[in-house]
Amino acid sequence: MVSLLQEIDTEHEDMVHHASLDFYGLLLATCSSDGSVRIFHSRKNNKALAELKGHQGPVWQVAWAHPKFGNILASCSYDRKVIIWKSTTPRDWTKIFEYSNHDSSVNSVDFAPPEYGLVLACASSDGSISVLTCNTEYGVWDAKKIPNAHTIGVNAISWCPSQAPDPAFDQRVTSRNAAVKRLVSGGCDNLVKVWRDDNDRWIEEHRLEAHSDWVRDVAWAPSIGLPRLQIASASQDRHVIIWSSNADLSQWTSSVLHTFDDAVWSISWSTTGNVLAVTGGDNNVSLWKENSEGQWIRINYESGIAIQSKQPHNLHNPQQQPQQPSNIPMSSDSEHSSNLSNSNLSNSQLSN
Amino acid sequence: MPPTETLRAGSGSGERSGGNSEQTYIIRQSNKCYEHRDSQATAMSVNYSGQWVLLAGRGYLALQRLGQDDGTLRRHERQSKYEVSVAEFAICPSRREYCAIATSQNIDIVRWGPAEPHYENSLRGHTRTVTDIDWHSKNPNLLVSCSIDTFSHIWDLRDPRKPALSLNAVCMSGATQVGFNRVSGNLLAAAHDGDLRIWDIRKGSCPTHYITAHLNRVHGINWSHRRETCLATASQDGTVKYFDVCNPRRAEKIITTLSPVWRARYTPIGNGLVSIVVPHLGRGENSLLLWSNSKQTDPICSFVGHTDVILDFAWRPNHENFTEIELVTWSRDRTLRVWKIDDTMLKLCEPSPDEDEEGDSPRYETELNELRALTPPEFMHTLQPRPMIAASLPIAATLEPGTINLPMARSPSFGGVYARREETHIARSLTDQPTCSLQHEFSLLNTNMPHVDVDMLCAIKRYACFKICAADHTIILQVTFPTSYPSPNVPPDFQFCQGTTLSSDVSSVLIKVLRTNALQRVKKSRSCLEQCLRALVAAMKKRVTAVAGAGADRSQLLLQSPRLEGALSSALHDACIPFPRTSGVHFNAIGMLTTFAQVMSTKRLTLRQHQAITPRTLSAINGSGLLGNVMATKTQRDPNASFYLQERMIACKRLQGKQRVMRQINGTTPVVHVYDASQLLHINREMAREFTLDKRDIAETCRRNAEICRKHGRSDLLPIWLLAELIATPHVPHESMSSELLFYMDPFKKSLLESLIMHYASAGDIQIAVLLACLFDKCPAALKDVMDVNSCPRLPAQLHSQLSPYHTVLPLDFKSSSQARATSGNLQQLKQLRSNSWSDSLDCLDFKLVQTDAYACSLIRRAKMPLFDQFKRAYADVLFGWQLLSKRALILKHTLHTPPPAQGVEFVTECSGCAKPKRTPKCEPCKRPVLFCILCCLPVRGAANACISCGHGGHMQHMMQWFERHDVCATGCGCSCLQRTSELLALIS
Repeated sequence: MVSLLQEIDTEHEDMVHHASLDFYGLLLATCSSDGSVRIFHSRKNNKALAELKGHQGPVWQVAWAHPKFGNILASCSYDRKVIIWKSTTPRDWTKIFEYSNHDSSVNSVDFAPPEYGLVLACASSDGSISVLTCNTEYGVWDAKKIPNAHTIGVNAISWCPSQAPDPAFDQRVTSRNAAVKRLVSGGCDNLVKVWRDDNDRWIEEHRLEAHSDWVRDVAWAPSIGLPRLQIASASQDRHVIIWSSNADLSQWTSSVLHTFDDAVWSISWSTTGNVLAVTGGDNNVSLWKENSEGQWIRINYESGIAIQSKQPHNLHNPQQQPQQPSNIPMSSDSEHSSNLSNSNLSNSQLSN
Repeated sequence: MPPTETLRAGSGSGERSGGNSEQTYIIRQSNKCYEHRDSQATAMSVNYSGQWVLLAGRGYLALQRLGQDDGTLRRHERQSKYEVSVAEFAICPSRREYCAIATSQNIDIVRWGPAEPHYENSLRGHTRTVTDIDWHSKNPNLLVSCSIDTFSHIWDLRDPRKPALSLNAVCMSGATQVGFNRVSGNLLAAAHDGDLRIWDIRKGSCPTHYITAHLNRVHGINWSHRRETCLATASQDGTVKYFDVCNPRRAEKIITTLSPVWRARYTPIGNGLVSIVVPHLGRGENSLLLWSNSKQTDPICSFVGHTDVILDFAWRPNHENFTEIELVTWSRDRTLRVWKIDDTMLKLCEPSPDEDEEGDSPRYETELNELRALTPPEFMHTLQPRPMIAASLPIAATLEPGTINLPMARSPSFGGVYARREETHIARSLTDQPTCSLQHEFSLLNTNMPHVDVDMLCAIKRYACFKICAADHTIILQVTFPTSYPSPNVPPDFQFCQGTTLSSDVSSVLIKVLRTNALQRVKKSRSCLEQCLRALVAAMKKRVTAVAGAGADRSQLLLQSPRLEGALSSALHDACIPFPRTSGVHFNAIGMLTTFAQVMSTKRLTLRQHQAITPRTLSAINGSGLLGNVMATKTQRDPNASFYLQERMIACKRLQGKQRVMRQINGTTPVVHVYDASQLLHINREMAREFTLDKRDIAETCRRNAEICRKHGRSDLLPIWLLAELIATPHVPHESMSSELLFYMDPFKKSLLESLIMHYASAGDIQIAVLLACLFDKCPAALKDVMDVNSCPRLPAQLHSQLSPYHTVLPLDFKSSSQARATSGNLQQLKQLRSNSWSDSLDCLDFKLVQTDAYACSLIRRAKMPLFDQFKRAYADVLFGWQLLSKRALILKHTLHTPPPAQGVEFVTECSGCAKPKRTPKCEPCKRPVLFCILCCLPVRGAANACISCGHGGHMQHMMQWFERHDVCATGCGCSCLQRTSELLALIS
């Protein structure tokens, strides 16, 4: 299911804390406690193309901007700084902006969906969240701070995917509403908070309480347009919780994905928002997938290769599942479903 | 081994006092220098008499004689494979031959006999390396030790088997420094990382105070020799802070240097403090600096001579001259140097009288004088300003006769200090003539001022004391009135005393406020006290709120422990920073997964039995590291070197299996794995490239796509394409007519198709969902092809299809538009059939008619189109990531055209009937056209243009014709439209 493309020896002098591929999957950026960010070619295990030095402490996380803004990378560090790098060629990087208005370690950075422009959110241990907006025309960065976002510190931040929910029957130009920017953050107060941009002011829309220890990572699932939204949060309390909401984001319901053996601190959604990768203090990487009944099933992941789960109750994995007519969400019209058998299709044909 | 030292003493002792005008402080070289070339001593201590210096290293102990007969060196081998982490001579005279030497987890008590060192006891109780030892200054039997195991043990040498008292700091970080209070001996400070814990040994269950002192590890603690509750700390973060444990929230004063400070100790006499600064990376000046306690900006004196890091220093009482002391330093350059701090230098430490500092000088001066008069010379080197007041220990069995059990003064400033101050003032006032006007002023003083408590008013001593509480801060203000007060330009003297909770910069501002107010009044020989007090309260409120404004957010936080609160106020503490990730996962936009995982050897270190899971904070790592061996490892973290490597190296040493761990370190060079997980997400680049969306024969296209799926091993998709093929095959009764129209109206097929698409979309197989949605979607461009195929002769047959039971045909509500007219009659028929099936807003007639066509010729219902367009855009993004740009364009062609939100200048016309802005040529509610051409006066439906300035405009053609020959507006409004418009446009852009 998952094939190993490349193994890259980063040769960092110290521990790596984050590794991220760019949009095209061509360049890999890694950041480490040695204070550097390294850029690699993702398909060749050669030496680093570039080493970006500018931080004076461990670099916790890197984030790539959408390629429509150019090759832009943001890194955040223990030294309280956020640095934004830009490259012309993969070997040639320059620092285009340095943000040092946090009073403590900056733990997480995330670029907003490209529809909002070049916008970066930073989460810091000083308890605040910064939203940096770039005026791409002039290259000027504007910072907005959410003070006291989380008591003690903010550990993770993630953007809501931009939704342009075209109202089905409302094509009038006057009702064109600008997409609402939303953020989700997780902090040391064991909370996950959803923030909404309201006339250039970030207001706390929801506070999601379920974790019993620090929230280490949050990730808002990318949306392909389905009217549901999901947030995953990983915590020191060894739980990963999936928060789901309907399209209008009025109500969030939580379900525990799994209780892990150790603290979980890194989660990531696939593009289509249906596979979640999780890792934590036990250094095991696991992939999780939601089946059509809404249950989360672990896809075993051994020695780098994910294989089908052998557990009996996990047998029905969505993509291998026979296409039973009952699984196809039919419209309410019973007449139509009864027509199914008439259309020269037997179950055996369907299930192949 | 013979003593190898060469005496550079005489040569180097010349003083180069700061004649250099640029140098604001004195530079002084050592008075004596002893070299120990072969010595690797890590610890040094000066004995009680000041005659001997102990140098302790891994394999030996050496005593160096100081004083007249220089050169005597006693050297003794000792059996130990560990470094000596600390060695301390006892400071009580009754145990003057004793010293405590800590190696690894044990402490040896050594008595220096005439010939050999005699090992008296071994104190065993710590489980990890002992980091510091301190002797009790009153009770000769007591000493305290602290260790990496986080415990501080107090030992009574009469019962050396176990600690007399164990102080358990429940925290992750080990204790690095410990110190008994020099005045009472009841308080004890231990440093854990950047925090201080203050214990009262009469109450050993929990610390009495927590002080979040520094941002980084504390390297040195030193209690004041005079003030019971005051101590100074030196830290890695490059600061020396003076704290009063009664007010642990903030430092009273701060000395800031650029490099980490290794030690800071009060001078036993005078008002100074000596600090060792460790230069970065071992380069730079190895500065030993003398500071005045009242001036933190510049040092008083710099002692130069050492060429490497100074490891430790100690005071050596000078028995010949009690006004000066000597400093003994031991450095990594293997020289022992002695420096003299004489009277002149100590005088410089005293605050200058015109400075608005706390000005302890007269007090201390007199105090010292008293002491010198009172105490026999032997007492001087015990450095006790008030030796008669010694507090007893509850665990001390042998109390010295005559000791008074002094309860810990809550505010020492009111105890001894003021009393003494009074005495000096009595002395002064006896000589001076007190004027009665001061008495008068005091009697007139309103003692009910808000925020002000009058503590003392004494006209005879010409002295008043106030306690001012405002804005959460307290000021203890002492006002001294000169004898000539209130004659012009003789303002009273203001001082903030012990107990003031303001930072020094705010204090200085407030003092300034007081002085200016006082000066204003006394210029006219008026009394000023009350006005000054009121001004002070006002200024204090203003100032404090201004200062606190920035930090106000934080002060609202409710935190459980002072430690956390302190951490926040100091804003950077590892306790708030999550434990670093040792593994991670990340999906990119096209389904590639990066993972890494690395074993962190320190984790094993920090994980003790009670920690089953990974610690949550970064401080877990820092705390486990030990400074320990100064000789071998750098004390300073190299910014380029490993953040954890230091800890790892120590880990190696500690976990005896050195090789095993070393190998592990080599094995854990971080490796990042890059996976292609796109299959898991059911998206495949190759398939995306090969899939076709040829609409000329959809059934054939389905077969071809099925073949592609088979080729790429997605046989689960084969039935779907078969199903799609069946959907694409027309099942119309009148096969001969083969109407496209009827084909697109099959309700069953629509529902089936929608269900299929929705199923795959929710299962995450966006590729197949989008392909189905695109294949059965008719984009307007594709429609033209249909038109070409369907030739005109079929038209009547299509009209016939109006009989379709699903649609009500309404009589002619055909809305004509130039665009619609251009298309064939076939389309018009469609519109006629369909246009009423949904609520049409005619405001965007032109645009919508085109869309209507799209809906009509599609198996996808209109309600689902926006959703499916979202799928298509999401898939298009993936294609973009794969750099399949033409495929992406093809998919995007199947999305409805939603115009991007207008930016910049936009034409809006206002309807004359309802006065609402309209973007369309006609106002639907009023049923009237909104824009009339100013030239032909007819309504404008098509292209229009208007002047931005005056707003007049009309048909594009007419405007062009008009402005070919004219510059001004056709209405005669006088606006020079062309010029103004271009100006405005330039302004906007």
